[in-house]
Amino acid sequence: MTQATLHTENGRAKTTEVTAKKSLPLASDLDIENELAKFEAEERARLGLDKQEKQWLETMTNAQFSAAERPKITLLIAGLTIAHDFLIEAALKGLGYNVLTLDCPTNEALRFGKEFGNRGQCNPTYFTVGNLVKFLCYLRDEKGMSSEEIVKHYCFVTAGACGPCRFGMYVTEYRKALRDAGFEGFRVILFQQTGGFSQATGDDIGLRMDFPFFTSLTKAVLAGDVINAIGYRLRPYEVEAGATDRAMEVAKKACYEAFTSKKSILFALWKAKDAFAEVKLDRLMPKPKVSIIGEFWAMTTEGDGNYQLQRFLEGEGAEADIQLVAAWLLYMLWESRNDTKNRKMLRGVDFSKYGLAELGTWGIAKREATLWAADILTRIVFQTFAHAGGLYGYHLPDMDKIAHVANDHYNNDLRGGEGHMEVGKLIQNVVMSKAHMTLSVKPFGCMPSAGVSDGVQSLITEKYPGTIFCAVETSGDGRVNFYSRVQMYLFKAKVAAIAELERVCQERGISVDQARAFLEANPRYSAALHKAPHAAAGSAADLVCEIAPLITSTRMERTVKKAKSAASASAKVLRRSPQTLAITATRAASKAQEIAGWLKEDIRTYRATRATA
Amino acid sequence: MTRESTPEKLVIGMDVGSTTVKAVVIDPDSKEILWSDYQRHLTKQPEKVMELLDAIQTAFPQRPFEKAGSWRMFLTGSGSGPLAKPTGAKFVQEVNAVSLAVEHLHPDVLSVIELGGQDAKIIMFKQDAKTGSKTPNASMNDKCASGTGATIDKCFLKVNAPPDMVTSLHFDDSKLHHVAAKCGVFAETDIVNLIKSGIPSNEVLCSLADAIVLQNLSVLTRGNTLQARVLLLGGPNTYLPFLQECWRLRIPQTWEERGYKYPKDVPIEELIFVPKDAQYYAALGATIFGLSESADSGVFTGMEGLVRYVTHGRKERLGESAGPPLVRASSEADEFCDLYKIPKFTPAKFEPGQVVRAAIGLDGGSTSSKAVLVDADKNILAKAYQLSEGNPLKDMKQLLAKLRSYVQDQGATLEVIGFGATGYAADVLEDTVLADVNVVETVAHMMSAVHFFGDVDVICDIGGQDIKVLFMKNGDIANFRLSNSCSAGNGMLLQAMADQFGLPVTAYAETAFKAELAPKFSYGCAVFLDTDRVNFQKEGYSKEELLAGLAQVLPKNVWQYVVQIPRLAALGTKYVLQGGTQYNMAAVKAQVDYIKERVPGAEVFVHPHTGEAGAIGAAMETLRVIKRTGKSRFIGMDAAIDLEYWTKNDEETVCHFCPNECKRTFIDAKRPDGSTSRYIAGFSCEKGTVESKDAMIALVAERKKIASQFPNIVDYESKQAFRHFYDPVPMPEAGSPIGDIEVRKGLFGIRRVEIKRPFVRSTEESWKKRKSLRIGIPRVLNIYMTAPWFRTYFEAIGIQKQNVVFSDATTEEMWVEGGKYGSIDPCYPSKVSQAHIHNLLFHHHAPDEKKPLHYIFFPILTHVNSFVSDTMDNASCPIVAGAPDVMKAAFTKEVDFFAERGIEYLDPAVSMMEPVLLARRMFEVFGPRLGITEDENDHACREAWKALTILENDVQDKGRAILETVEAENRVAILLIGRPYHSDPGLNHGIPEEFQVLGYPILSMRSIPKTREYLDRYYKEELANGTIKSPLELNHVWPENYSANSAQKVWAASFAAHHPNVVVLDLSSFKCGHDAPTYGLIDSIIDASKTPYAALHDIDANKPGGSIKIRVKTYAHSLKLHEERLTDSARRKEQLAVALDTKRLELLELKRKQLEGLKQTDSALLRQIEELAAKVKAYQAPPQAPELPKGIVQLGRKREDGTVVRVQAP
Repeated sequence: MTQATLHTENGRAKTTEVTAKKSLPLASDLDIENELAKFEAEERARLGLDKQEKQWLETMTNAQFSAAERPKITLLIAGLTIAHDFLIEAALKGLGYNVLTLDCPTNEALRFGKEFGNRGQCNPTYFTVGNLVKFLCYLRDEKGMSSEEIVKHYCFVTAGACGPCRFGMYVTEYRKALRDAGFEGFRVILFQQTGGFSQATGDDIGLRMDFPFFTSLTKAVLAGDVINAIGYRLRPYEVEAGATDRAMEVAKKACYEAFTSKKSILFALWKAKDAFAEVKLDRLMPKPKVSIIGEFWAMTTEGDGNYQLQRFLEGEGAEADIQLVAAWLLYMLWESRNDTKNRKMLRGVDFSKYGLAELGTWGIAKREATLWAADILTRIVFQTFAHAGGLYGYHLPDMDKIAHVANDHYNNDLRGGEGHMEVGKLIQNVVMSKAHMTLSVKPFGCMPSAGVSDGVQSLITEKYPGTIFCAVETSGDGRVNFYSRVQMYLFKAKVAAIAELERVCQERGISVDQARAFLEANPRYSAALHKAPHAAAGSAADLVCEIAPLITSTRMERTVKKAKSAASASAKVLRRSPQTLAITATRAASKAQEIAGWLKEDIRTYRATRATA
Repeated sequence: MTRESTPEKLVIGMDVGSTTVKAVVIDPDSKEILWSDYQRHLTKQPEKVMELLDAIQTAFPQRPFEKAGSWRMFLTGSGSGPLAKPTGAKFVQEVNAVSLAVEHLHPDVLSVIELGGQDAKIIMFKQDAKTGSKTPNASMNDKCASGTGATIDKCFLKVNAPPDMVTSLHFDDSKLHHVAAKCGVFAETDIVNLIKSGIPSNEVLCSLADAIVLQNLSVLTRGNTLQARVLLLGGPNTYLPFLQECWRLRIPQTWEERGYKYPKDVPIEELIFVPKDAQYYAALGATIFGLSESADSGVFTGMEGLVRYVTHGRKERLGESAGPPLVRASSEADEFCDLYKIPKFTPAKFEPGQVVRAAIGLDGGSTSSKAVLVDADKNILAKAYQLSEGNPLKDMKQLLAKLRSYVQDQGATLEVIGFGATGYAADVLEDTVLADVNVVETVAHMMSAVHFFGDVDVICDIGGQDIKVLFMKNGDIANFRLSNSCSAGNGMLLQAMADQFGLPVTAYAETAFKAELAPKFSYGCAVFLDTDRVNFQKEGYSKEELLAGLAQVLPKNVWQYVVQIPRLAALGTKYVLQGGTQYNMAAVKAQVDYIKERVPGAEVFVHPHTGEAGAIGAAMETLRVIKRTGKSRFIGMDAAIDLEYWTKNDEETVCHFCPNECKRTFIDAKRPDGSTSRYIAGFSCEKGTVESKDAMIALVAERKKIASQFPNIVDYESKQAFRHFYDPVPMPEAGSPIGDIEVRKGLFGIRRVEIKRPFVRSTEESWKKRKSLRIGIPRVLNIYMTAPWFRTYFEAIGIQKQNVVFSDATTEEMWVEGGKYGSIDPCYPSKVSQAHIHNLLFHHHAPDEKKPLHYIFFPILTHVNSFVSDTMDNASCPIVAGAPDVMKAAFTKEVDFFAERGIEYLDPAVSMMEPVLLARRMFEVFGPRLGITEDENDHACREAWKALTILENDVQDKGRAILETVEAENRVAILLIGRPYHSDPGLNHGIPEEFQVLGYPILSMRSIPKTREYLDRYYKEELANGTIKSPLELNHVWPENYSANSAQKVWAASFAAHHPNVVVLDLSSFKCGHDAPTYGLIDSIIDASKTPYAALHDIDANKPGGSIKIRVKTYAHSLKLHEERLTDSARRKEQLAVALDTKRLELLELKRKQLEGLKQTDSALLRQIEELAAKVKAYQAPPQAPELPKGIVQLGRKREDGTVVRVQAP
């Protein structure tokens, strides 16, 4: 028997001794190791030791599609405001892709997210992930497509995770939910928010993440910002309900066409300006200005994810001061700038993610210059779009200032969510009278916002009495409680707005009726796109401050006043000039010396580098 | 009041709350209340508003509503929103309304506490120092919080309090027990436990009141101090004297603690008071608001709109958002009930004189106990049910007596062939009546389901409080999920909902089946669901629809919230539903629909004895055991019924081991051998399980003894991290040469040039000064990872080792004392930091004893070091990193507690991933303050890194010793996966210890050896196929590994999946946002490798004792099976080795023979044959391995030659 199993022919064991003997190999032919291996396999099977240990492996990463697949693939996008998503769709279509924007996430999306997502996620994750799964289920269950077809013909494109809060890891959730919902292998293509302008390039790459891709996206985002900013500026004061929304639609369509037909966005915005200009406004209504801060997604979405917060505020008689997506871009640039600045003079380099080890001698200056240029460029493009579209007097936040005012309370090195921005913005809103009320909206249990910022904000509200600060969490349900909380603070803000208008009128010596009469006589001040300079928190008070001198004094008096003020300023400059000049000259001299020293060092460094090379 | 004299225009204020409607009519000139009433609306808010309006009309007949503009109405309250439009009234937010009323009626009040049915609100009026104007600042409770009237109402029902107790009870703080007031479900769980433990109802109620008051004071005040005078509003505050008294005790305590100067000459009843007509404040405030509006605001348009709204309006609004009903037609309901209704049990009939031979299974449950009589053929003969009276022996005797009389009443005789017990009573019954079987509930449920349905895949048991889901494989529990504190109380919720609508629970299904649509609830805890229910009710859903909707959310809660397996089909196709909730056919229908929709070909069964599944399981196991052993050790039916026991409940039985002073009951029973067995009831923590100090010492000693045999690295690490264990190398002498880097900056380039220069030391005076400095560091969060670094740093720069002071380990007492400063409510590990800062400020800072703290150092650790080699980043959790800034805000907000004590609080941001930056930050902070030079700073940093490495290596050495030992002995070690601070015994609630005393060594993630030499063997295949280049990689499993702690946790789970002798205990804190994305990942990893796994998620401040116990026992059951599998596998591997050697010998012999045939010899071959033959011979009579003492893991280190050398346990 033993001999019978010694060796096999064509995979079949010889079963008789005689046969075995006949086929006994020569000693030199007997492959003991081979025989043993076969025997071991049989034994393992007999003893039940042949089961392979299984280990989990993530197979749905590094998704892409090939250039050949491009015509057959539809890119799905979503995630920002309705205007942004609409324009990003156009921008990508303009680049030659088939694109479809998902609807703004609803409570139904939340339910899908909860069913297929991990427990304990924050609602931006549930809403966004659920929204995608909901759409794919719709394709499968309502449109009759098979899961394989869906996986083959659709991809989802989104910004990559940025850590370190749980929303920063939402891509993990996309994979889990898609897999659990039956869409194993569905491609979620990521571009990194901080990954630069060249992330996926090459001839056979389906979705090329190159310079044109990112510039198109940025233009769409900034154009969307401008349209939204104008909309939120006008809508609360419109005389005819719905006029602003109609103008916004005109603007969005114009930009959409410009993107898809590769025409000038600037021109499209410029054309849209007329539509905005036609909206009739009554800016003397004392409306509380509510600055919306908090977690990025919760304050950006316009659907059930924040209970349509912006519309709710407007419905309650407030003006919503939203944060533009551009501010987020600037914050990310600031982060990188600040991190580089903090490390460049260290006596050594660190090799971790933020360390400057890989930048080398010239790399730091290059990175700083690039980041500075990106910041300036973002601001220039935004302001150009803004002026073309009629958004005048809009100031993008000064990131250094925000960081500076917040740092004592919320360390600038703390990251996640909006970082120190929430605290910085609240302080600015109070100190610089930028809004009557600051509303921080965040998902239930938001780590950076509810778990840290709100803890610090309680100190800020204590330090600045009279601050109206409302922190609210959204969880997808409990809409009534959410609204109730906002109303609680809004009541105070309304009182403050009315009081502010009364105070300003009193201080400037005019009444609201006088102001109204003036505006009727001087329509340029009541024009939709007119922006009174910032003087108070509310728009009505700003306008009163601007027009009061025009009512209470004659042109001659104003001219005299202006001349006097200019003269006094000039006198002051002249008085200080010798001293100032002396200081400037001394500084320049020392700086020149310093700069010369730096240049010399650069030359030395250059020589040293060449010598080493 | 004379209605004739009232002015022309009257104003109505209506407060539509969650349980009542309050209405006032006021004179707009004098603001005097002319008419008022309040009534419970029983969820019919609009109808009740109509009724009250009718009453107003009757009271003011001269002012008919029809007369246009003669009335104005202002609405407030959570239910009033939808009623504004139909009536022309204006809505006023309730906190604003209350603020206005308080400002109007009590200008001197600075704080208001209002407890409502669903909400709790605190309003604090802040005075602007400049303008003197008062600004109300209000805060409302989170969604996730209790401290409300509803919780108190439920508690009154649960303790079965007599009606007069509401007003007669007085607050007594001498006997308080732990109640978590964090949320209603937590509180309810604790209350149930207290009641079960026999705590008197007055103590339970006082404990709840105290918990609610403290919760509100610590959370709702957002860290602010309530200032006098304090006004108490809302139903509970108004009607419950004991609650008022509790406020009057606790608020002044906070005043004292925070140094707030309040008028001590004013009686406390005046400083903290309940006003007359407190219930009308919101309604009155609404009218005051209205009077400040223009005259055309809130003009009442009459009743028509409201009538229209009630009859049509509500329904119209529901159409789109509603979901489908439970059944489409009544016939569907009938068919379903016919199919699934639990058959009525008919007990067996006996003949007179018949001898009934049967085993008894008894399930001593938390609220009720059940027993079954099962004959040898496994037929259920009779059942008995008993509401638990808190004494398991009494319950047992009554149940057995019921069974005996059932048999005897028919003239038969009962012969008990065995007795098995499960549930919380099982231990005492095993001891006193010598039960044959003592089996944990989960296993009992499994056995029962298997008995009835054979090879089932999933068993889902839904009781009143708990949900248990067991996943089966090969006839045994492969895995299980239990509801935790957050997902408890689902069954109870259905019952409570029926109660709320005045229905008996038996009518639930019948009512719910009538619904034509159902609101779509989101899954979540019972409190969230109740909040949703209130919202839906406000939207106008009927009771039928609400009940249907709630039944439909039950499966979501089971499968999505507790089980979290969206692909149900992966679990199998055969499902058994059991537990008391299955009597509710609406719940069964929802479950069946849910499962069948997701699992093609699913078979769903309802257990025929759904309430007694546990008892039946115990009986079945008993039958199996007695069949195997051939005998029973049970003392017999009569002896058990006549069991002598006596209870003692007096001063002597009071537990003095903690300030709770639980009034326990000792239940002593005589064992068959004459000795006494003692069962202790009525304690609220495990300290109460021993009867005296000596017994306590003995218990602790015993546990310590066991613990010393089973190493617990988690515990060791948590202590060692904070000890001094490394003497830093002394500072170099001044002038000794050192290497440095000089930074040369150009306009564009930056060059770092290595240079040599002399070491610079600080002055002798500064060294001397540092010797007397004391630095406090809170023992929290990621300090658990980094403490040796900071300790050594400070020691190296000259701080005395005893002057580096860590706060104490977390305890409940510490939290109660120091947990009132935070303004937010994040996870417990983060918010407990305030108690640690408090501990440093108030306990370790002792200037009177010449032990002042000069600094409190709580670094913001933005990044921590990680062993995972390919992470995207190593960031700390934002909450963990940000906690130091939150603490700074909390302790400097109203009063700067640090400045007051002359302490400086330092919280620089540092990254453990950037040693150069870290050194710079440390120098920036301590250079100027402590007078150290940068060279000294750098030297200290280098020493600090050494210390950290020493600890890492030490812990890994010990870990390796454990791993090699368990591997050699085919045993398992439990790997605790969690965050660094889960080593804190106050956060892990001693769960690792529970396993340690069962004989399992505990490993920490840090203790896993991280060398390639050790790890490669477990990752052979992945290394070979190129999936990974190093075993410390993680991207192939999880690319979004930004968070260092999360990445390490997932890696550790993956390690356990690779190591056959490592099983996993997963701890996660409530609200942990960083653990959330890893739940699914860890499940996938564990499922793929079939590693035994136990998880305790959502752990919080309170210790869920019962839940821990059942998990520990069930997991121990799984581990036992796993160890058996390991032994079997080792035996088979041994057999394989023998077979292979024998085979090789045969082949070599064959070769030798062939060579002989060719007249050749090969000396090497002969030597090989000789050696192998000796080896094979040795197999035939293997030397007896010295038997290891049973139950003891002796640590060993495996040598190269395979022998194991014993080493010392940590």
